[in-house]
Amino acid sequence: MGVIKAGSIDNSMFIEEKGDPYSVVEREFVNPGKGSSFVRLKLKNLKTGAVLKVTHKAQDNMEQIDVEDVASQYLYTDGESFHFMSNDTFDQYEVSEAVLGDKKYFLIEGNTYKVVKWNGETLDIKLPPKMDLIVTEAEEAVKGDTVTGATKFVVVETGLKVKVPIFIKEGEKIRINVDTLEYQERINS
Amino acid sequence: MKGFADSWEAARFRSRVYRVIRDFFLDRGFLEAETPLLSPDLIPESAIEVFKTEKMDLSGRKEDYYLVPSPEIWMKKLLSRGSGSLFQISKCFRNSEQSGRIHSNEFSMLEWYAVDRDYRDNITLTAELFQELSPLAPLETRRLFTDPFLILTMDEAFLRYAGFSLGEKNSSEELRRELNRLGIPHDESDDRETLFNRIFLSLVEPSLPRERAVILIDYPAFVPTLARSVEGTPWCERWEMYIGGVELSNCFSEETDREKVTAYYDGEGEEKRKNALVPHRTDRSFPALFHRGYPRVSGNAMGLDRLIMALSGEEYIDRVLLFP
Repeated sequence: MGVIKAGSIDNSMFIEEKGDPYSVVEREFVNPGKGSSFVRLKLKNLKTGAVLKVTHKAQDNMEQIDVEDVASQYLYTDGESFHFMSNDTFDQYEVSEAVLGDKKYFLIEGNTYKVVKWNGETLDIKLPPKMDLIVTEAEEAVKGDTVTGATKFVVVETGLKVKVPIFIKEGEKIRINVDTLEYQERINS
Repeated sequence: MKGFADSWEAARFRSRVYRVIRDFFLDRGFLEAETPLLSPDLIPESAIEVFKTEKMDLSGRKEDYYLVPSPEIWMKKLLSRGSGSLFQISKCFRNSEQSGRIHSNEFSMLEWYAVDRDYRDNITLTAELFQELSPLAPLETRRLFTDPFLILTMDEAFLRYAGFSLGEKNSSEELRRELNRLGIPHDESDDRETLFNRIFLSLVEPSLPRERAVILIDYPAFVPTLARSVEGTPWCERWEMYIGGVELSNCFSEETDREKVTAYYDGEGEEKRKNALVPHRTDRSFPALFHRGYPRVSGNAMGLDRLIMALSGEEYIDRVLLFP
């Protein structure tokens, strides 16, 4: 555990607020014209999945918590929770859908992820900023009222619907921003 | 459909926006200025950290230079030399503002100064600019640019979203009492501006309507700026525009009283010397620009990356930059 200035907090850090563990979902710097700068934080309660929005002066102290990452294989979902197994100890961990949120769209059975542990509790999983997934359904491109060019929606192997340029075809691999769920680029393999 | 298919579209869209802006101001007789990005001195602004660099001669003798956090210093010099109304599309650099959904350390700004106009006239001018830009917006977001702005005074906004009149309660003690009532944590060392900002940023700004462009007008004069204060009131002639809850532009009736500019300069300069992470030289001759013949003028600075986000419906600044 350690004290950290609110201004040094970054996305995907873990902090404690009023006794509960939170992950930092969004961190936005606010410079209100003149005077001290502030940060606006969107925090997710890792016990309930509830989102808390707080605004702190950049100099305010907050509590960062030391978490442990456990490399674990994703096993299955029972509809409410997602189950993982430690690659080393074969211990099983469970993360609720409420806590996982959109990260569930990046889980592929059998692949290894970092499960986040703190004080014996399973909090969350960590993902890299961008991940590559295979397009499994690609509809015909429809010319719409786009700002300029043409886009269409495709579905990737995890069920996520993504807006992509029209040239993307079924079976191709695309890179997706994990935070925004937006298409980044096509991966040529 | 909102948004860009890829970064090439975003780049083409940006040049269309810039063309509309240029035509708009040139048609109204504004001068387009291109002023230096490197400056040997800056206007002290305590909330902004700058980028510092060095200029070197052949013998290796070095002199400090800074990347401008806005083109204001140069544009006000041009106004003092009789430029008349002018505008600029310029890069600006602000250090220590961590990048995020709506921030980038290097960003593009549209800054204009309208001579013989005040901050209210500048609302009309901004509305006209928005009308010109509106055809670029997809149907879902076009109304933000065609509908009349929702104009809300800071006092009304505090009444509505924080439950008290800022006009009546604005001393440090009164603001502390309100913070306690509202259950917002604060600190012994907080000054009046910080106390005000804690309430403003926790309750007021996040509650501003998002379905229309909002003009939040008449800021408290105790927040030091170069906006003209309104005699006999706690307010100054300043507004900020918010679109979708995001601050888009900041407009003043510019302070042109030399004594008041000097007082601001000294106060902010002192603040800088005490707290700046990157101290910089200040231009001591700046207050002297405000001679008897300096025009009455209203300036507005608008973040162009955020304007492009608002026009296109993109929610992350990375999506409108070629190299985020």
